[in-house]
Amino acid sequence: MIDHFVRALTQWPLFLDGFFNTVWLCVFTAIVSLFLAMLLVVPLMSRLLPVRATARLVVDSVRSVPFLLLAYMAYYCLPAIGISLSSWAAALITLVVYNTAYFAEILRGAWSHLPPQQEEGGRAFGFTGIRLFVHIIGPQLFIAAGPVLGNQLIQVIKDSAFLMVITIPELTFRANQVQSILFVPFETFIIAGCLYWVLCNSVEWMVRRLDQMAELRRAR
Amino acid sequence: MSDDKKNGTPVLQVRNLVKNFGDLRVLDNVSVTVDAGETVCIVGPSGSGKSTLLRCINLLEWPDSGEIILRGERIGFRKNDQSREVRMNDSEMARIRTRVGMVFQQFNLWPHLTAFGNVTVSPIHVLKRPKQEVEAEADALLEKVGLEDKRDEYPIRLSGGQQQRVAIARALAMHPDVLLFDEPTSSLDPELVGEVLAVMKGLADEGRTMVVVTHEMGFAREAAGHVVFMDGGKVIETGSPEEFFSNPKTGRAQQFLERYR
Amino acid sequence: MVDWGIIANLLGGAVTTLWISSVSIAVGAPLGLMLAMTRVWRVPVLSQAVAVFVSIIRATPVITLALFVFFGIPAMGLTLSPTVAALITLSINTSAFHAEIWRASIMDFPQNQSEAASAFGMTRLQAFRLIVLPQAWRASLPPMVNEMTFLIKSSPAIAVIGVVDLTRTASRIAAYTYDPLPPYISAAIIYAVVVFSLVRAQRVIERIIVRRYGVL
Repeated sequence: MIDHFVRALTQWPLFLDGFFNTVWLCVFTAIVSLFLAMLLVVPLMSRLLPVRATARLVVDSVRSVPFLLLAYMAYYCLPAIGISLSSWAAALITLVVYNTAYFAEILRGAWSHLPPQQEEGGRAFGFTGIRLFVHIIGPQLFIAAGPVLGNQLIQVIKDSAFLMVITIPELTFRANQVQSILFVPFETFIIAGCLYWVLCNSVEWMVRRLDQMAELRRAR
Repeated sequence: MSDDKKNGTPVLQVRNLVKNFGDLRVLDNVSVTVDAGETVCIVGPSGSGKSTLLRCINLLEWPDSGEIILRGERIGFRKNDQSREVRMNDSEMARIRTRVGMVFQQFNLWPHLTAFGNVTVSPIHVLKRPKQEVEAEADALLEKVGLEDKRDEYPIRLSGGQQQRVAIARALAMHPDVLLFDEPTSSLDPELVGEVLAVMKGLADEGRTMVVVTHEMGFAREAAGHVVFMDGGKVIETGSPEEFFSNPKTGRAQQFLERYR
Repeated sequence: MVDWGIIANLLGGAVTTLWISSVSIAVGAPLGLMLAMTRVWRVPVLSQAVAVFVSIIRATPVITLALFVFFGIPAMGLTLSPTVAALITLSINTSAFHAEIWRASIMDFPQNQSEAASAFGMTRLQAFRLIVLPQAWRASLPPMVNEMTFLIKSSPAIAVIGVVDLTRTASRIAAYTYDPLPPYISAAIIYAVVVFSLVRAQRVIERIIVRRYGVL
């Protein structure tokens, strides 16, 4: 078995390439989706029923469809209605749309559990609208929702593996490539598994550190 | 029902018990003797080690040194093949615990079982007594504590006083050699204390062997065979209730009783 | 306008998705409980091994695990069909998550009740069977239903190793009709219906439990 591992590891450039593709896909998704989620959470918490209901429907629908299916839809259906996309574009669109819905729901949950004194206090000092959000509500949301957001980030890492089916050369795609060249599937996927483990636990470690810092600043 | 009036050997003997939590000496050479049919009340300020003493008797805590002897048998340790003393294992301790009944300050009823269920589960599954016999006795015990109409209620629907009375019935169902009460009324609203004390007084009058840690001086005065006063982990004074309450011998006991005048 | 042939095909795929998911949960949940108990009871050696196993599986994408099982096991000499590989994959995956769910609700368990159980002479196993488990399963139920929805949403991974589930059926139909929109959109709707139902069921179960026992 050891020699199989050695053989698999000779392909380390492929593994590294896949690893880094996974990483930057996830970083990109995290940044863009979080930003869009902050925009989406506003209609989600709106006091106007039609606005809130529409946002609710969109978020729930996206969240109830498997990620892989969504990826197929971006890759096959969008060209069919005239939007032609590269596989990378389809991948990024899927990741961003899917996770915007999830992040928006997480932020909404955190917002609904936020003590009302926070918003009242902000308004009492003259904060309204965007400023209220940026300086008062937003930071508290992220402090409260930190661990859950981190969890979702781990989910992003794992969902990115599905993108191998639309030929994105991320980690699982590369691992599959290696095993089909060298016929050492057991060892190849163990290596891939370890790399995913490193990635996921780094995120978890970071989240825990941030959470400790946030603990000092949390609203109760 | 178990016959507690034996030939004069004490049911329970605690000898030179020492227990430390870190550098805090919670029990400092404590010795207590409980005769058959006797009710011993342990009183004292908070932090005097009273609860720890009780928990050691039931082996919920392990003493650092000293002996606890239940009907002539040492609790927690047995002699192995070379006649050396070794710690008892889990199942042996479980067996010992069935002989020591415990009523907790927080009742600790099992919320997923009805009052009836709470009383019957241990005799059936631990003592392996026949189901019909246990169930008939459970009904009788619930009636004894005045809760026969609450038999099928879940603890969440019972008042604190009612829950504690179920806890007493639950302990009685095990036919223990001795009943331990750990501040049984301290968690109760004042108006519910009386009903529990009444049940306990009834048990004392029946001749049950009981050790009661309590702040209820009235109960101690009426029901105790003898009173043990503890402070700072030591037994300061013992005596009959008449002696202790009217004529405390030590300064600390006098100070303590001032509060209850 | 509606092509019933396609709908029938898709429903066939949906049935495959559902039965494979159901069996995987039926195997994975009890397996997860056993894994959790080795950790709760601190069984020497085994509990550390389980901790490592759970940590790795929870960090591994389902599709990667599926490829590992599908290609890796035959490489060791055993043959297995895509369906069996799918069942193994999803069962192992969900057992790791269930292990954490059970461990959380059991560790969370009020100590005073376990103490009372101990005081009444119950051994660890008896206390677990009579006192802890009957109550802990209630706290575990919502996260378990939640995990079921996750399972269904990650089940398309089995399409990649050749199981003709709902996703693969949709792909096939798209391929031979050259019209991807109807099958994919219909498949999405079917998944959504299943997931919505599960989420609904979870809320109803929670409400029933709270009403019957007064507490979760």
